[in-house]
Amino acid sequence: MTEFILQEWTALAPPIVLAITALFLLVVDALAPEDENAAIWIAGVSGVGTLLTLLITGWFLVAGTGQPREGEPANAGAITLFNENIVVDGMALFFIAIIASVTLLVIIASYDYLKDHPYQAEYYTLTLLAATGMAMVAVSNSFVVAFISIELASLPSYALVASLKHNRGSVEGGLKYFLIGALSSGILIYGISLIYVATGSLQFGAVTEAIVEGDITGGNGILGIGILMILAGFGFKIAAVPFHFWAPEAYEGAPAPISGFLSSASKAAGFVITFRVFVDVFPIGAVGDTVDWIVAFQVLAIVTMTVANFAALKQTNVKRMLAYSSIGHAGYVLIALAALTGGNQAFILGSGMAHLFVYGFMNTGAFLVIALVEYWGVGRRIEDYNGLATQAPFAAAAMSLFLFTLAGLPLGGGFLSKFYLLWASIEGGVALLAIALIVNSAVSLYYYTRVVKAMWVEEPSESLEITSYPVGLYTAIALAALVTVLLLPGFGFVVEYAQTAAEMITPP
Amino acid sequence: MSEIFSTAPAIVLFPLASFLIILAFGKWMPYRGALAGIVATGFSLAVSIWVALQMALDGAGPYQETLYEFIAGLEGEGVTLTFGVLFDPLSVLMLIIVSLIAFLVHVFSLGYMNDEGETGLPRYYASLSLFTFSMLAFVVSDNLLMAFVFFELVGLCSYLLIGFWFRRDGPPSAAKKAFLVTRFGDYFFLVGVVAVFAVFGTTAYAGENSFINQAADMVGDGTEYTFLNLSSQQVIDITALLILGGAIGKSAQFPLHTWLPDAMEGPTPVSALIHAATMVAAGVYLVARMYGFYALSPNVLAILALLGGFTALFAATMALVKQELKQVLAYSTISQYGYMMLALGGGGYVAAVFHLTTHAIFKALLFLGAGAVIIAMHHEENMWEMGGLKDKMRVTYLTFLAGSLALAGIFPFAGFWSKDEALFETLEHALGGADVLFVAYGFGLLAVIVTAFYTFRMVFLTFHGEPRTANAEDPHSIGWNMKFPLVVLGIGSVLAGALNMGVIKEFIGENNLFLAEWLDGATIGDEYGTAEFALSYGHYGDLLSEYAGYEAATLSPLGPGAIALGLAVIGLGVAWYLYRAPEPEPHMTKLGGVRTVLMNNYYQDEAQVWFATGFTLPIARGANTFDQGIIDGLVDAAGGVSMYAGERFRKIQTGIVSNYAALLTLGLLLLLVWLGIDGGWWF
Repeated sequence: MTEFILQEWTALAPPIVLAITALFLLVVDALAPEDENAAIWIAGVSGVGTLLTLLITGWFLVAGTGQPREGEPANAGAITLFNENIVVDGMALFFIAIIASVTLLVIIASYDYLKDHPYQAEYYTLTLLAATGMAMVAVSNSFVVAFISIELASLPSYALVASLKHNRGSVEGGLKYFLIGALSSGILIYGISLIYVATGSLQFGAVTEAIVEGDITGGNGILGIGILMILAGFGFKIAAVPFHFWAPEAYEGAPAPISGFLSSASKAAGFVITFRVFVDVFPIGAVGDTVDWIVAFQVLAIVTMTVANFAALKQTNVKRMLAYSSIGHAGYVLIALAALTGGNQAFILGSGMAHLFVYGFMNTGAFLVIALVEYWGVGRRIEDYNGLATQAPFAAAAMSLFLFTLAGLPLGGGFLSKFYLLWASIEGGVALLAIALIVNSAVSLYYYTRVVKAMWVEEPSESLEITSYPVGLYTAIALAALVTVLLLPGFGFVVEYAQTAAEMITPP
Repeated sequence: MSEIFSTAPAIVLFPLASFLIILAFGKWMPYRGALAGIVATGFSLAVSIWVALQMALDGAGPYQETLYEFIAGLEGEGVTLTFGVLFDPLSVLMLIIVSLIAFLVHVFSLGYMNDEGETGLPRYYASLSLFTFSMLAFVVSDNLLMAFVFFELVGLCSYLLIGFWFRRDGPPSAAKKAFLVTRFGDYFFLVGVVAVFAVFGTTAYAGENSFINQAADMVGDGTEYTFLNLSSQQVIDITALLILGGAIGKSAQFPLHTWLPDAMEGPTPVSALIHAATMVAAGVYLVARMYGFYALSPNVLAILALLGGFTALFAATMALVKQELKQVLAYSTISQYGYMMLALGGGGYVAAVFHLTTHAIFKALLFLGAGAVIIAMHHEENMWEMGGLKDKMRVTYLTFLAGSLALAGIFPFAGFWSKDEALFETLEHALGGADVLFVAYGFGLLAVIVTAFYTFRMVFLTFHGEPRTANAEDPHSIGWNMKFPLVVLGIGSVLAGALNMGVIKEFIGENNLFLAEWLDGATIGDEYGTAEFALSYGHYGDLLSEYAGYEAATLSPLGPGAIALGLAVIGLGVAWYLYRAPEPEPHMTKLGGVRTVLMNNYYQDEAQVWFATGFTLPIARGANTFDQGIIDGLVDAAGGVSMYAGERFRKIQTGIVSNYAALLTLGLLLLLVWLGIDGGWWF
């Protein structure tokens, strides 16, 4: 069989397909009949576009696009475009796969959730544009592209959070998200400008080269402040403490599928650029004397885990509790950067990436169950979940699965990915991270169990009555649950891709 | 040759099959599962005999095979856990004993249980089959761990069967006691198994690399062992003692014998099978199975001999005053196992196995005979309520008498030969230089008188004199299914001594000591005595003289034999003198305070209860207080602190967006200042 080689720009197909789908949706909205079938068309087109993106990404990953071929060194094979302002490599594809999977689950679930929503096409378009932005974040190879992509991901997100226009929480959450987002963008772009001052470039490779060769203008202070401000800007995207303040309110106020979307996909996008910039662009070997960012991430990781998990203990609102849980998980993933003090760097980084992959499914799944409960109008407090298992055993079982897997019990892939993170913190020789991970996992088990107990053990209140079982939400939940469970036996497969991708950017 | 052995594991599997079948279909089966049990044990018996014949006549075996490896160790290190079988003269002899008694007990149960209209019979027969399976599997085990597994399983079956009549008060409590007391010993056994794994890396009995062979090499080299600075001899001593813990519990040796008399709450056929002939023998069998290991350790052998001799006498004294038939037999069982331990400790490997064999036969006979009497007496067990049964229950009387003569050690019944062998071997090695054995021998001799006395006190009270109650006047008749096992075992009690007539070996020649020849592997391959197996009697003799310093003095067995017989006759004579009257007097009441002590079993139950309530319980209370106060307190405190921290952290989120912006900026500033100073940006 002859090997056929696509044009290089086709490597960018995933974000392109997402963008085209988003624009095409506006056309569909204009042409589709003004009846209830419109929703099917709109959701269908979005779903197909996202599925296509996911398939293309999966194909690229399996076919080895942007990854080293056999016999090549581990850091070869990345495809760069537009004067190296775009890079398609293993890590980019790995994260696009996460983003596309989450987006697909959210779109499937949204079909039911948005039943009486007046602006459906806008909702899906914004979601797809945000996803496009996130995918572009994954492939950016210069600060300009990265900043624009982040904005492309963020601006639709603000609108999405506020999309329940008559719900005070939604609007308030959206506004707070926007305000903190504006501040963070300001910090980020200021940091980027300082880097430009220091190195004279915005392209990642050129910045690295300037730093490594010591060709810095304005002394270490400019460079150091720039790096830390960029760290703060990214910290906003991944919702790490103390840049997380928007998250509890935005996640709580947003439509639940969007909460899942933001806490999974948007967080993944934040992490991909953080990984790339700090591991590849600001290698610790070169900037360690100026800014020991590993220590910064160690502090951030521990503070994030601890504050988020302990704050979650006292929450009464399930959605808000899960918001804190997702902040806590950002802390866990930060171990992948905080433990890069030694040992097998690709293993450590790969563990964080693999955790984000598993997390994409289990966390989105949990938020989708919340979406289902909101769809039923049952209520948001833990007491409102009392006896849910009597009426909706599948949903309750799926929720229990997601929560326990988030806690790290061996029901799904979350157990293994957390175990790998623990291993990574030991591999890096940072015992404190391991201890923090274990203590916080134990704490998290407490608040997750409260929800599970409410659903299975407590007596249902008399008003609890469930009349409908929406197909779309159930499908999305079942898919998320299936993948979460399959990731227990299939985790080795994921972590292998993650480590191959990590090897491309970590120093050998 | 090996094709017999590929079939031989079926011996073990027949009862397992019948267990499963009875468990599933027992309710609908003829005789509620008895038939399945009889067929299965019958097959086991037939195959066992066939294997024995092959070994005796065709020279097949010995044979060891690993059947199933359930944990594979790392290559070159770590331990591999396996199930396997070892067919050698010792295990095959034991297979025959176990399957024979099991078969006869099943038949007897038809009369004892079915004819009496007991309920819950499928449970009874399923437990019996499970017991037989476990016991047979224990016997053929080729390693210590597997032996431990089945050792525990027979313990479980014992628990189930003692507590068979669980609606009465006594049996469940007796079952619990038996379970707990034997478990106490098994705990040491388990530690011993782990110790063997830790020291030798294997628990295989046979093979060049068996732990027994390794141990011999270790003592020979005089290797120092690093753990706690123990010498290799000490390591072997300690390990042997730990494993002995299991044997003491299971074979009801002092001080863990207290469960056995209580175990008589179970159905009498169960007492015959489990608590007289087979399971109780497991402890002795275990020591015999790894005798090469014990032979390396003169200290442990001495302990074994003293413990056995003491138990033999001690238990026999308690049997003197008992009024219930089965109680007498129970203490007698403890005493007889004491003889076997004495023999093992005294270097009499063959004697121990011989006594194990004959005892299994005559004690099973006595229990079954007692069972027949109990049925005849409408479940009355007190001997003082009986009397004069000898004419009304002819078969029972004659067979019971044969068993009693064997137990008392009267020539030429089976027990005479084997008990004398045990005493003779001990004396021989005592004279050869192992002085401590004199003490043990003394215990053993004294116990002979006591044994003969209590045995015939029992016979006279039960069968002779005038009937003392209405039941004894008109006993219930018993059927063929109870008579048949009695007759078979009665014949065995008379003839089994022919296996090894050690007393007269000067006349018949060493070669006609069949059991000694058999255990030496004379009929099978030479590898039995060499390092490849190293399990033969001859090999043990070498080990005993090399490591334990046991030398046999030149001594004719006739003299000691005559002494033992003379003492037995004295005991018998005294019993005849005191209890032959038609209306015998309760002479034991004349003992006064001594009798009270004996009736109360030297207050050992009380001592053990005190140990539990006065010693263990306060410690447990202390531990509980520690757990509730300190540990739980710490846990609760951790929870409280977490909740408090959670409340605080929750309040960081004020809901006011300008606070957020301020905190965010402050956080960034802190990072900048700290890392700036750290990175030396300004200085």
